Amino acid sequence: MNKPMIDRRAFLATAGAFTLSFAVPDARAQQTGAPAAPWTAYLTIGADGRVALLSPTTEMGQGTHTAHAAIIADEIGVPLAAVSVDTALPSDPFRRGGAMGSGGSAGVRAWWGALRKVGANARASLTAAAAERAGVPAAEVTIEDGLFLRGGKPLAVTLGEAAGIAAARPVVEGEPKDPKTYRHVGKATPRVDVPAKVRGEPVFSQDFTRPGMVYACAVPSPVYGGDADSWDDAATLAVKGVERVVKIPNGAAVVAATQWAAMKGAAALKVRWKSTAIDGLSSDAISAAMHMGLDRDAEAIVGKAEGDVAAALAGAARTFSADYEVPYLCHAPMEPWSVTVEPTADGGLEIWGPFQTQDRNRNTAAKTAGIVPEKVILHTLMLGGGYGRRLGDDGTPGAVVVAMAVKKPVKFFWRREEEIGQGWYRPAQVARLKAAIDKDGKVVGLHVRTAGPSMRDSFSPGGLPKGELDGSSVQTLTDTRYRPGAYRVDWVRVDQAVPMAPWRAVGATQNGYFMEAFVDELARELKKDPVALRRELLAQDPRALKVIDEAAKAGDWGKPLPKGHARGFAYVESYGSLCAQVVEASLEGGEVKIHKVACALDCARVVTPDGARNQVEGGVIQGLSSGLFEGIEIAGGRAMNTNFDGYRIMRMHEAPHAVTTVFIENGETIGGVGEPPLPPATPALVNALYALTGKPIRKLPISAALAG
Amino acid sequence: MTTITLNGKSVTVTSEPDTPLLWVLREEFGLKGAKYGCGIAQCGACTVHVGGQAVRSCAIPIGDLDGQAVTTIESFDGGHRVQKAWIEAQVPQCGFCQPGQIMSAAALLSENKAPSDADIDAAMAGNLCRCGTYPRIRAAIKAAAKA
Ligand code: FES
Ligand code: FES
Repeated sequence: MNKPMIDRRAFLATAGAFTLSFAVPDARAQQTGAPAAPWTAYLTIGADGRVALLSPTTEMGQGTHTAHAAIIADEIGVPLAAVSVDTALPSDPFRRGGAMGSGGSAGVRAWWGALRKVGANARASLTAAAAERAGVPAAEVTIEDGLFLRGGKPLAVTLGEAAGIAAARPVVEGEPKDPKTYRHVGKATPRVDVPAKVRGEPVFSQDFTRPGMVYACAVPSPVYGGDADSWDDAATLAVKGVERVVKIPNGAAVVAATQWAAMKGAAALKVRWKSTAIDGLSSDAISAAMHMGLDRDAEAIVGKAEGDVAAALAGAARTFSADYEVPYLCHAPMEPWSVTVEPTADGGLEIWGPFQTQDRNRNTAAKTAGIVPEKVILHTLMLGGGYGRRLGDDGTPGAVVVAMAVKKPVKFFWRREEEIGQGWYRPAQVARLKAAIDKDGKVVGLHVRTAGPSMRDSFSPGGLPKGELDGSSVQTLTDTRYRPGAYRVDWVRVDQAVPMAPWRAVGATQNGYFMEAFVDELARELKKDPVALRRELLAQDPRALKVIDEAAKAGDWGKPLPKGHARGFAYVESYGSLCAQVVEASLEGGEVKIHKVACALDCARVVTPDGARNQVEGGVIQGLSSGLFEGIEIAGGRAMNTNFDGYRIMRMHEAPHAVTTVFIENGETIGGVGEPPLPPATPALVNALYALTGKPIRKLPISAALAG
Repeated sequence: MTTITLNGKSVTVTSEPDTPLLWVLREEFGLKGAKYGCGIAQCGACTVHVGGQAVRSCAIPIGDLDGQAVTTIESFDGGHRVQKAWIEAQVPQCGFCQPGQIMSAAALLSENKAPSDADIDAAMAGNLCRCGTYPRIRAAIKAAAKA
C-alpha cells in the first residue's frame, strides 16, 4: 500500500478531525500493463469520536461495508457501531483504472491488507496523541471499546480529543494486530443494514424522490438496438396525470405526475418501430451459428496451450467428446432499473441511481447532455439486487434526455418487461470438449473449444478488436488446476446483436458447467467415480484436493441414498477461490426436487462468516435457478419471456432448505466470496440428474432438457 | 370515492378506482415499503395484508377495496416477532423483496401457529428473492412460530 499520509486538502478534512488517506494498487491495471493508479479511500476520526470510512466500494447487500467496518473497528479498538462506511462521490482518488466502480468480488479481498494497515496507523497515532495529552508513555496506552486505557484504567482523554491532536502531528506507523485477536472479524457480526431492511425503510432507487419530480416510463424498442419510427399518443395523453411523450434514444418515454399514470400511459402508447437487421433473429438461429463456429479451426483464438493436444488426440487409445450449450441469462434483480435526474441552475445535472460504475454513468450523462463530466454530480442509491446488472449505464441516456426536455426532476424507469427484455445478458455460448485417453484409461489430453459472442465487446462497444481473446469466454478454463495432460483452450467468436454484460461470476458460470458436466461424462466413460476422477486430475495440488475432500465429506459422497435420489459433484475455481459442491436431487412427477446442497469454499480467509454464509446460500440458489429454469427465448429479434411468468426463477418450494457450508481458511491470498459459490451449483445438479437418469444434460436450462 | 382502513386509520382515497392498491400506497400515502417488482402478481414484492390475508397489491384495483382493512409493513414497528426473527437469522441481502416476504410470513403465522415445511412452501411460493435468501426465510419463520 502507499504510505498513508494526512491529506490536508482532503475534502473530508474538518476542524479537529483526523483523516488518513490510503490506497490499494490497481491489480487490473497491473494485468493490462496500464499505469497502476492506486485505488484510494479515506478514514476519518471526528471530534465526536465517530469513525467514518469513505470508500469506492458499493454495498449491494453482499455485506462489504459490514466487513470493512469490522476490520477498522478491530484494528483501532472501537465498537462496531462507532464505525460508518459510505460510498464516495466519484472523484479521482476513488478511481481504479480511470473509473470508479465495484466488481469481481473485490470488495473485501482487495482491501483487506490496506484496511488493517490504515487502522493500525490510526490506532498508533491516536494512542500517541492520548499519551501526549495525559503525559504518559505512548507504549503503555491501548484502546479498547473506544476508550484509552493505561494499566487497565481509563485515561481522561476521549477519542475525539485525541483525533484533534493527531491531526496536527505526523502519522505514527502502527503494526496490524494478529487477526486471531480480532473481536468482530471472523465472528458472527450482525450486518449493519439489516434492521432498517426488515422495517422496509431503506430508500431504494425506486423510492427516491425530489421536490416537483415527475415520472418517465420508458417505452424502448423491444427489438435489441431498434428505435421508434413514430407513435400515436392520443390514448396516452387521455390518461389522467400524463403530461407528454418524449423521444428517447431508442424509443419513447411517457412523462406523468405519478409512476402509475406513466405506466398506464405507456401501456396505451401505440408505437411503430423502425425495421432492423435482426427482425428475424431467433434463439434457434443463434444456437445454429454458435455450433457452426465450433468447426471453424482457423478462427479459433488460443486461450491456453500446454503440450501438443492434437498429437495427444491423434495418438490416443480412444477419445471421448461432447458438445454443450447454454442460453442468454438475465440478471433479473428484483428492483427494475430507474435513474433520477435533476437539471441544476448552472446548466449541469444532478443524478441519483443504483450505480455500481459511477464514472461510466457520469460520463454517459455528460455526453448525452453535451456538458463536461465535472458538471454532473452523481449519487449512489441503495440498489435492489446487483449481480452485475448495475455495472451498466443503459438507463442513463433516456433519463437525461427526458430531464432536459421537461426541465424538472424526473425519475426515468423501466418496467419489469424492459428490465428483462432490454438485454445485458450473460452470453449464450457453446463448447466442445474432447479428451484423449490412453490404454490404461488415463486422461492424457483435453481440448476445450468454446464459441459464442464477445461479452466484453458488447458491454464496452469496440472493447475487443477482432482476433483478440475475450477472457470471459474461456474464464476458469484457462486457469483451472486440473492437469489433464496436454491441454488446449480456444474460442471462436460468433457475435450477435444481443446486448451482454457481466453476470454474477461471469464466464465461470457457463465454462464451469461445460467442464464439470464433461468430467462426469468422462468418469462414466472410464468407469470411475466422479470424485475419484477429479482427485486424479488434481493429484498434484493439495489445496484443491482439500476442497474436493471437504465437499465430499460434507455432502455424504458415497454414502447410501434414499431410493430415487442421486448426488452430483462439481468443482470450479473463480475470483481467487476454490469451490466444490455436492447436490442431492430426485425427480418427482417430472419436476426436479433438490434435497441437499453441501459446499466447500476455500477463500483463504473469512472476514464476516455469517455474511459469507449468506453469500454462499444466495450464490448456490442463483446457480441452481439459472441451471434449472432460466434462459431468454428470442424470436423476431426480441425477448419473448420478459416477466416472471415466462422468465422463471427459483421459488421457495424449489429451493434447498439449507446449504451446508464449510469454509477453508489458510494462509493463501484472500479470495472472493460473492461469486465463486455460484458456478459449481449448476453442474452439481446436472451431474446428480445424470447419475439418476443415465442421460447427460448437454443443453441448459435443465427443465427444457428434461421436457424435450 | 373509496374509503379503507389503512394501518388502523380510516382514510379516503382520491386515486382513480382502477389504480392498483400498490400505487395508492406508494404515491397517495407515501408508504413505500411495498415495492414494484413485476406488476402482474408474480413476484410478491408488493405484498400487503387486506383483511389479514397476504395479497399482491399491484394487481388489486383500489375501487374493489371499499370498506376493507389494509395493513402494510409500516404498521410493524420493527418489534413484530417476524421482524425480530428476521434480524436474528440475518435474512436480508439486498433487502428489496424483504417487506413482501415479511408480510407473507406474518399472514401465515397469524393463521397457522406451527407451519410445516409444506405450509411454508405454499404460503411463500409467491414471493421471489433473487438474492436467494430462501433457507433463512424458512428458518426465520420457524423461529418466529416458536417465539
Ligand atoms: S409487483 Fe406485485 S407481485 Fe410483483
Ligand atoms: S434480499 Fe435481495 S431479492 Fe431478496
